[in-house]
Amino acid sequence: MNTLVCIKRVPDTGARFALTSDGQDIDSRNLEFTISPHEECAVEEAIRIQEKQGGSTAVLTLGPEVASEQIRESLAKGIDRGVLLETDGSEWDPQATSQAIVNAVQSIQKTGTKYDLVLFGNESADSGDYQVGVRVAAALDWPCITGIKSIEFQNNQVVAKREAPGGWELFRLTLPAVVTVKEGINVPRHPSLRGIMTAKKKEIERIKPAKPELKLLKQNLRKPQEKSGEIQILGHGIEAVPAIVAKLKELGVI
Amino acid sequence: MDSPFFSEEHRIFRRSVRKFVDEELNPHVDEWEAAGRFPKEVYKKLGDLGVLGIRYPAEYGGADADIWTTAVFCEEMGRCRSRGLTMSVLVQTDMSSPHLAYRGSDFLKKKYLPGMISGKRVGAIVLSEPEVGSDLANMRTTAKKKGDQYILNGSKTYITNALQADLFFVAAKTDPSAGKKGVSMLLVERDSPGFLIEPMKKKLGMHASDTGELTFQNTPVPAENLIGEENQGFYYVMESLQKERFVSCCAMTSSAQQAIEDTIDYAQSRNIFGKKLSEYDLTRYKLARLQTRVEAARQLTYYAAHLYDRGLDWTDAVSMSKAFCAEVANEVADECLQIHGGAGYIEEYDIPRLFRDLRLWKIGAGTTEVMYYILAKRMGI
Ligand SMILES: Cc1cc2nc3c(=O)[nH]c(=O)nc-3n(C[C@H](O)[C@H](O)[C@H](O)COP(=O)(O)OP(=O)(O)OC[C@H]3O[C@@H](n4cnc5c(N)ncnc54)[C@H](O)[C@@H]3O)c2cc1C
Repeated sequence: MNTLVCIKRVPDTGARFALTSDGQDIDSRNLEFTISPHEECAVEEAIRIQEKQGGSTAVLTLGPEVASEQIRESLAKGIDRGVLLETDGSEWDPQATSQAIVNAVQSIQKTGTKYDLVLFGNESADSGDYQVGVRVAAALDWPCITGIKSIEFQNNQVVAKREAPGGWELFRLTLPAVVTVKEGINVPRHPSLRGIMTAKKKEIERIKPAKPELKLLKQNLRKPQEKSGEIQILGHGIEAVPAIVAKLKELGVI
Repeated sequence: MDSPFFSEEHRIFRRSVRKFVDEELNPHVDEWEAAGRFPKEVYKKLGDLGVLGIRYPAEYGGADADIWTTAVFCEEMGRCRSRGLTMSVLVQTDMSSPHLAYRGSDFLKKKYLPGMISGKRVGAIVLSEPEVGSDLANMRTTAKKKGDQYILNGSKTYITNALQADLFFVAAKTDPSAGKKGVSMLLVERDSPGFLIEPMKKKLGMHASDTGELTFQNTPVPAENLIGEENQGFYYVMESLQKERFVSCCAMTSSAQQAIEDTIDYAQSRNIFGKKLSEYDLTRYKLARLQTRVEAARQLTYYAAHLYDRGLDWTDAVSMSKAFCAEVANEVADECLQIHGGAGYIEEYDIPRLFRDLRLWKIGAGTTEVMYYILAKRMGI
């Protein structure tokens, strides 16, 4: 089983952040960068698939040179090799990103490695477009399933589970296939220090894709109002009931 | 904050340890603080993460990494909400095991080091005595050579990890008439005959770290468990204390940094006289001033690391750093508690625990006065 995981370098979503003065980007000067949480689970899933089924694992990202850090982190956890589709750091829309990934997958396939499975996170933690995995599958003409929380293999098929209200939806896909996974599918491991040291020696292939004309254009970013942490006490004991009912009505809950 | 000292590997390692602390340690620390100890299992998990032998050779299971990797590890451990647990772990990594790794014989290293690196065996550093702390050259515990054994007699106090440890690195007089030239280091196993361990309870802070008193009554120790050369122990202790002090600086500055972050969050959510507490100039000034001092403390510590990395004498830098970081960390703890108001006095917040925990660092691993005593001597005063 050869698995490729596509990841994205994103600002650490837990951190405080500010926008640049032109409103075009987030101010990254004091930010930490990380891998989107869903994709971290995709990396973990690929490693577990390899541990059970053998084969190879690779991780790919499209981003600036510094995104090699997120590749290296995946290599430290146990992924075999990395592919960096190096950009100048400017934004690529989902269509351009998926086209570059498709081109890379096809050119790697020509040189020998046939991927059975390409994993994505369900959506990236920053732009949250929900598009890249689906677009890649469509362009490769492979089956695709999204929002998956369990992956197993039976007779050259992927058995994938998605959480649904009150139960699970079950899907069977023939290989090769694209699956986008969600947090909760597993608990990602922490890269060990030894893993980090050996990852230094693993190969990262660098490809510089030409940037196509973007068709999905960003206007500008706006920071949402910070939620106030204020607590309103509506009353104590049984006397509070009318106030609670009034509040629930006001909020449209009842 | 970005720093020229850290590479991509260090950053990846930092994230890994930070997640480990957030996911594997912090959810349990209240329970461990209340119990006055934490499960030994934590050492095994740390061993799996590869952090108990950061600078030790790969042949014993170590990572052969540099002092900056140690700095990253200690800084991230400093963000554990039980600074007591942090202290216990640092006793394992940089206070006890270095005696074995840097001065132990090949025989001892083969026998004990892999277990310490994997987290199977926990270590303690045994220097302080009821009568002697700062003035270690005057220790009373003796180790008399008898055939192929040393016979240990005496008592030790304030020993971190005493209740958990398997391996005790004990300083004792092999030549009581020779002052500091008569001290040797011995590796003593827990179940040695005549070796009593008693818990010391009710500490001001560092609650999850267990502390004990040790008594040796004619305790036989195999002569092969001598660390390095006989009567050289005092020098090994002084050498190793630099590392102890350095790691404590890394941990306490990052604990202080975290307290500032917590306090900013608090000040931004607290409304007083119709304004956020964080909007008052006095609060902003206080926090900016504390941040400046923490940064200075951190950079002084990094300077010490830089000297060590280059193989230069780091004693002055470490002594200054230990004294300064402990002052700054305690000032941060005090001021941040103050900004919390009454909430700062209630255990629901981390700040009272931090306030108690950080107080230790003006005392442990050599007091602030001793740091200035060393410096003054080295300044030729
Ligand atoms: C929680 C905790 C954990 C500890 N863990 C360990 C451990 O694992 N292993 C271990 O061996 N020890 C440990 N210690 C002991 C610690 O290292 C000592 O407490 C410390 O070195 C000070 O020694 P002392 O307590 O004997 O104080 P003393 O040496 O008696 O000092 C008393 C006071 O005199 C001051 N003083 C000393 N010298 C001078 C001077 N020249 N001029 C002016 N003033 C001076 C000191 O600064 C201090 O204020 C621990 C202590 C605590 C509280």
